[in-house]
Amino acid sequence: MKHLALCAAGLLALPVFAEGENVTITPPASVSRADGLAAWARIYQVTSHPRCSNCHVGPDNIPMWSGPSYGRPRPHGMNINGGESRIGAEFLACSTCHATTGTRANDAPHMAPQVTADWQLPPVEAHWFGKSSEDICHQLRDRDLNGDRSYREIAEHLDHDVILHWAWSPGGGREPAPYSLQEHVNDVLAWGVAGMPCSDD
Amino acid sequence: MKLTVDGVAHEVDVEDDMPLLWVLRDELKLTGVKYGCGIAQCGACTVHLDGAAVRSCQIAAGDAEGAEVLTITGLGQPNALHAVQAAWVEHQVAQCGYCQSGQIMQAAALLENDSEPTDEVIDIVMSGNLCRCGTYPRIRAAIHTAAAKMKEA
Ligand code: FES
Ligand code: FES
Repeated sequence: MKHLALCAAGLLALPVFAEGENVTITPPASVSRADGLAAWARIYQVTSHPRCSNCHVGPDNIPMWSGPSYGRPRPHGMNINGGESRIGAEFLACSTCHATTGTRANDAPHMAPQVTADWQLPPVEAHWFGKSSEDICHQLRDRDLNGDRSYREIAEHLDHDVILHWAWSPGGGREPAPYSLQEHVNDVLAWGVAGMPCSDD
Repeated sequence: MKLTVDGVAHEVDVEDDMPLLWVLRDELKLTGVKYGCGIAQCGACTVHLDGAAVRSCQIAAGDAEGAEVLTITGLGQPNALHAVQAAWVEHQVAQCGYCQSGQIMQAAALLENDSEPTDEVIDIVMSGNLCRCGTYPRIRAAIHTAAAKMKEA
């Protein structure tokens, strides 16, 4: 009974509390602009990390290989081009090598990573590779460029889309994205509650 | 697990995480499919899985349950070569031959997707299939020949 009362109190205090599939989506009640910008700085560390930015490439549709395990940044080997489809449909499908699996682990160095979703490049609007913190900040808060998502829907997208989770458990000796999926979601929510500030506003 | 390979239904008793390449070579003795790297870096193991080219070293047996697999052994027959195989003979593409089953399977998939590929498209699609003998110029020429033959047919 006490437990139920606590839950009810929790619901009253946090009307937008939601248990996501993989993370908890709990926007804070209020966040200052300074704390929002601090949250953004951590978000940018994630968006500019090779596990994310290597696939968030621009209109040349060519994924990148960069990060500590690659030495210098370079285009994905094998002349790979994701095409406008961003799944390689016009040329060589990403799924030729990046299998969709629920069975195998990403445990071998240099092996094509695989997840329980179809491997693909994100939409070209989400071009992050080589972009500044301000550019990415403006893109992510613009509903025309972010898949028409509120900050809360961005957090839900992070919760649902398992290809994104790979960034935090890439295997094969690759460096994971910083923080954790939950911490990243918390930062997105804090940045959102603060009004999605960008440092050049 | 059940799967159909080159038109023949099979039931094999293997661990779910065994690579399809192992199933094909070690269980079904289809040694036309080659092992080069095991990590999707060379293309030697390319087969068609439900019509799409894949690296069979990357597909877990458990994920191929019920699938239709086509290997080099079922692509054509000695007296009825697939257009890609015929073009390969015409251009004498192979040198040592090790990579060629994968090259041919990838080229056949390419022509299903694009009946008249340019050199640029061929280079993009075929670059994941390595050939240490450097037969690339002949591969490109043979793909153009096969494309022309398939158009006539
Ligand atoms: S053996 Fe599968 S790609 Fe090399
Ligand atoms: S023919 Fe020898 S590796 Fe290609």
